[in-house]
Amino acid sequence: MGYNLLEALNVRVVGSGDRYLVLAHGSGTDQSVWQRILPLFTPSFRIILYDLVCAGSVNPDYFDFSRYTTLDPYVDDLLNILKALGVDRCAYVGHSVSAMIGILASIRRPQLFSKLILIGASPRFLNDKDYHGGFEQGEIEKVFSAMETNYEAWVNGFAPLAVGADVPTAVREFSRTLFNMRPDISLFVSRTVFNSDLRGVLGLVSVPCCVIQTARDVSVPASVAEYLRTHLGGRTTVEILRTEGHLPHLTAPALLAPVLRRALAR
Amino acid sequence: MPTSVTAARQFLTEEAARALDEAVAVARRRSHAQTTSLHAVSALLSLPSSTLREACTRTRSSAYPSRLQFRALELSVGVSLDRLPSSKSVEDPPISNSLMAAIKRSQASQRRHPESYHLQQLHSSNNNNANATGCSQAQAILKVELKYLILSILDDPIVSRVFGEAGFRSCDIKLALVRPPVAQVSSRFSRAHCPPIFLCNLTDSVFGRVGYNLLFPGQEDGVDENCKRISEVMAKKSGKSPLLVGVCALEALRAFTESLTKGKSGILDGDLVGSVVISIEKEINEIVNEGNDEKMGLKLKEVEATLEKCNGSGGGGVVLHFGDLKGLIFDGALGDFVSPLVLRLAGLMEVYRRRLWLMGAVDSVEIYRKFCDKFPNVEKDWDLQLLPITSSKSSFDGAYPKSSLMRSFVPFGGLFPTPSDLRSPLSGRNQSIPRCNLCNEKYEQEVDAVKKAGSTVSVADQYSENLPSWLRMAAVDTSRGEDVAKTKAGESMLSAKVLGLQKKWNDICQRLHCTPTVTKLDNPSMSQVPIVKGPQFSRDQNRTSSGDLSINESLFPNQSPSRQIHMQTNFLPKSTPSISCTSEGRNMNFHSVLHVDVPSVTQQTDKDVPWFHHPRQSLSSCSGRTPSSFVPPVTTDLKLGTIYASTSRESNTTKSLNHQEHLQRFSGSVSTEFDANSETTSYQFAQSSSCSGPASAEQFDLGDYKSIRKALAEKVGWQDEAVNSVSQAVSQLRHKYRSFRGINCKGDNWLTFLGPDRVGKKRIASALADVLFGSQECVVSLDLSSQDKLGHSNSIFECKELSSYDEMSRGKTMSDLIAEELRKKPHSVVFLENVDKADYGVQHSLDLAIRTGKFPDSRGREISINNMVLITTSSSITKGNVKVICENKVVKFPEKIILGAKNWQMQILVGSASDDASKSNYMGVRVATVKEASTSTSANKRKTMDVVESSELEKTDTGEREHKVPRSCLDLNFPVEEADEEDMGLGHSKSESMSESSESWLEELFSQVHKKIHFKPFDFDGVADKIVKEISSQCQRTVGTEVALEIGEQVMVQMLAAAWLSDKREAIEDWVAKVLGRSLVEVGQKYNLSPRSVLKLVACEGDVVKEQAPGIRLPAKINLN
Repeated sequence: MGYNLLEALNVRVVGSGDRYLVLAHGSGTDQSVWQRILPLFTPSFRIILYDLVCAGSVNPDYFDFSRYTTLDPYVDDLLNILKALGVDRCAYVGHSVSAMIGILASIRRPQLFSKLILIGASPRFLNDKDYHGGFEQGEIEKVFSAMETNYEAWVNGFAPLAVGADVPTAVREFSRTLFNMRPDISLFVSRTVFNSDLRGVLGLVSVPCCVIQTARDVSVPASVAEYLRTHLGGRTTVEILRTEGHLPHLTAPALLAPVLRRALAR
Repeated sequence: MPTSVTAARQFLTEEAARALDEAVAVARRRSHAQTTSLHAVSALLSLPSSTLREACTRTRSSAYPSRLQFRALELSVGVSLDRLPSSKSVEDPPISNSLMAAIKRSQASQRRHPESYHLQQLHSSNNNNANATGCSQAQAILKVELKYLILSILDDPIVSRVFGEAGFRSCDIKLALVRPPVAQVSSRFSRAHCPPIFLCNLTDSVFGRVGYNLLFPGQEDGVDENCKRISEVMAKKSGKSPLLVGVCALEALRAFTESLTKGKSGILDGDLVGSVVISIEKEINEIVNEGNDEKMGLKLKEVEATLEKCNGSGGGGVVLHFGDLKGLIFDGALGDFVSPLVLRLAGLMEVYRRRLWLMGAVDSVEIYRKFCDKFPNVEKDWDLQLLPITSSKSSFDGAYPKSSLMRSFVPFGGLFPTPSDLRSPLSGRNQSIPRCNLCNEKYEQEVDAVKKAGSTVSVADQYSENLPSWLRMAAVDTSRGEDVAKTKAGESMLSAKVLGLQKKWNDICQRLHCTPTVTKLDNPSMSQVPIVKGPQFSRDQNRTSSGDLSINESLFPNQSPSRQIHMQTNFLPKSTPSISCTSEGRNMNFHSVLHVDVPSVTQQTDKDVPWFHHPRQSLSSCSGRTPSSFVPPVTTDLKLGTIYASTSRESNTTKSLNHQEHLQRFSGSVSTEFDANSETTSYQFAQSSSCSGPASAEQFDLGDYKSIRKALAEKVGWQDEAVNSVSQAVSQLRHKYRSFRGINCKGDNWLTFLGPDRVGKKRIASALADVLFGSQECVVSLDLSSQDKLGHSNSIFECKELSSYDEMSRGKTMSDLIAEELRKKPHSVVFLENVDKADYGVQHSLDLAIRTGKFPDSRGREISINNMVLITTSSSITKGNVKVICENKVVKFPEKIILGAKNWQMQILVGSASDDASKSNYMGVRVATVKEASTSTSANKRKTMDVVESSELEKTDTGEREHKVPRSCLDLNFPVEEADEEDMGLGHSKSESMSESSESWLEELFSQVHKKIHFKPFDFDGVADKIVKEISSQCQRTVGTEVALEIGEQVMVQMLAAAWLSDKREAIEDWVAKVLGRSLVEVGQKYNLSPRSVLKLVACEGDVVKEQAPGIRLPAKINLN
């Protein structure tokens, strides 16, 4: 049973080392997004790679619209994977949605995680009274309807925006993975993500965290990193990468890798 | 030979055989001679429960109505069948070879996947396609299952064409066949998301699906995720009172209680069945706000009563819902009422632990923490369990957006890239290389064909018309000149042809395989080249071509492109302005080459031939002349040749073969100024070809070493030992290539330069490139440490560097960057600086590269490095290679400081010296460590001078008298350097954890390289002495002995750096004589210099040199104050 989950979500364990490291991709990408980071860590870690169920590389039949309405089922998936692999402690690197998933997973199983590294993380994307998440509800609705009417056009417009830095290969790569997602799933996941609000539960995190954020990120304003730092329960550090975009692992792997390494060493 | 129907049938399962019978029937009806795949398709489509038709239904594009499309399909099948010639009716038209082949193919694929075969059996029985064959027959003779048969038939090009005409893609159909319709909704989309059709995927789709379904039990409709979680908590034995945490917690709580009261029994099970929800939210509000706890008392009594009842009946329970926890910690004067409530609830909980559930929500953990502070035991007493809630259900109310999106999705379903892309970085290694090899092979074949073709067409007349002057020239020198011309013509024709071919294949390769090519040259296609293999030239032609081939094969056996590329690079300089490489252009080129050559034969010692207006041209002529009989200036030739290698090469390569044959004749006249052990011919040849490149590389021999050494020493005169060992290594390498003919021992082409002298290493690398690949440009130079370095602005070294890491490498890892450069220059010296600073990715890549001869980038694509010479440098010396270098000697100008040199403008300040005795007796020129503001006048600067006197470096002729210079003092002068060091220090501590592994890696790498070469530090102090001497003599000459000149340390460093960098040895002396001398003269004229005057040569900080002196990186003029 667990085996099939591993298969369905394309779980791979690579590298040699005594510590486990989970690399979890964000929405709109799949595990291939880590390929530039991966070789740098394979010698020192056993790296667990998997695809979120919403990723384009996963059979869309597995995406159950009635189940994946919140982030918790994703957390279930993650914990099930770790269980199936017999992992009892690991470091976790999560990007965007997966950062949220990692936070939730660590709340549920604090002993399982030795460290959370959150790249481009945000507990809440929508603005609130005294919280700046970067998006207004109205904007989001517009985005959703744009996705709905013409997904392709939306992808083509959104990808460069999200990638931020002027790296055509990264834009291409992100567009590819984004486009691989079935539009309805993509939209559904986006709704789920924008609907999620982790602000209240951040205090439950006891695992040490490292928030990695780029200098300019369309999805996550700089204040969010600070918010995370103050509100996350565990010992938390913030690293600002001197690059732009939401996907530093795609655009600036050389910049990200040392930061990751440092964070993992602590 | 067609196969009989009965013979074919025995390979098929019953079902498949039935289909075949149908096909035979179709063929019979149409009275065709054979049963082909088309008949089979026609039959398959008409079968009652046609798998093929069903698959088509699922794959068809939505652009057309299905009925129409099927009609189109039938029509196109029919038309294709009509086209087949009919013959007289045969009883059972035998199976055509193509159909039989399809059967065989399907058999093979089925045999490859026995498991999926069984599965398939299983599966098809589910689909009511039960067949009786079963597994038992599979052993005896593998009977082809219908599905496999269809799949194979679809591979038939005729069939796929027919389907294509009807708007179907056979690959889509195959996919649909392999992936049976599991879910009604989305199977249509599956093709976009599944791996491309390979039969082995069958297992995935069948097995994975089943298992996965099991994994998610109980997905009742309408129960949202939050409710499910809440009920999960409540079903537990302890910690069963959920406290929902999160911004949306309250909402979720409401939703849950609502569905509870509505009695959605699906949510609750076990103990919870039949429980009632009682809310005390309102009552709490009342207590807190109004202090009225009467109602609360009542309510709690009610609760207690219900619980009592439940206990009695043995079922049900109470879910006591207190709403927002915030209500309970309201910090008011009335807060007192809360604690009794909390205690009361705790009491209730204790009594009716099995029947009572408390429930609540809280905005954030912080509030809950506060609450806990107030009531430390509450978590245990209330049996609370925190449940993070991250989203409310509200926005998912209503239908999922599925349906509308599906529509928008379909039209571009075909645009989805296949996921094979995904896997390619992992599994698809080597992809680009074999393809290019393919191209290379084809290219080679064609080249051979051209060469063998011999005298195909003779357009010699035209050729000679184009070269009238050449003929005239050739006539001057009767026998020899003609010979030269002949071979030249033949050789150049060949090379032109080869070039054309090469271009063609490069194009093809680029187009097909996206291989980056090196060339920007727009070469003519073959047709443009006049073919001049006249019969009278054929003998020479043969000879040259064979020689050429042998070179090609023996030296670079596994890399035929090497030659072409060299050809290319060699031709590059030819395409000077007007020559866009049409045949005419090339002829002109020949022309000039011949010009060069013939005079060299005729007027052997005349250096200044009048028509050599252009310096480059004359150079090329010089170097071109060498092999013939122009003996004396061999060394100068070489020198010039190396400097202007890019231009001189031109003549050399085209003539190299020429030389070869002439050498025999001229060997007598060739000088014997070289060692006796070197074969004169080959040596001489090598000598010339040290600038001429690979075409003549075969000839490198014993003399090779010396020639390389000479070429290198020319460039880097100060590194004798290193130069010796490099040339030794390289000549060994070449010798090896030659003698082993293609056996490439791994790591052979790797060298490691250890120790200081960065510029020297770089110069040697570029000199090697010149020697080995014919151009100094054939260097891929990357500094592996550059990523953690901030660029020195205005550094004197700046222009030498490649563009900084940041610009080039955005979005790339270092190894990708290297790979890219390697791809650009497949024949080059790869010069990787500071390999000890390499990040892990690069380490990994290098590791593989040295072992396999292929450099992988981060995506797993590999670039062959067999044609390269890789030089890794490291300034640090690892434990394993400790070679004692006397570091205890204090150096006044360490390399580190020199590397920080800036490219500032210089200035001379005039001041007067004090009558200080200690100062008056110095030699007149000295270097001051004082960093002076360029605006300062010496009068008010005196004090400072005295203060810093102690740290002044006094430059005297002896120079060896070392003043211990405090490091900190120097640091003050070089803030950038210091910052840099700090940076490095930080980086070191950062990478501490990996430094050890890195070191061991380095050692391992170095143990595999062919040779380690230790460099000595550049003798900056010596040079400094020389410069100071030079300047002082200059000074004495121009302004007189009594005037003192002070050289700012920064200027000194700048001069040293420039001297280090300059190509010519005397460049700095030249500069001192010309630029500084002129300035000093000007100063002498402008100011009335007294014996007490002090001139100061200082740098104008922030003012970058605008105009550089020729040949050296120093300002062309010096400002006067």
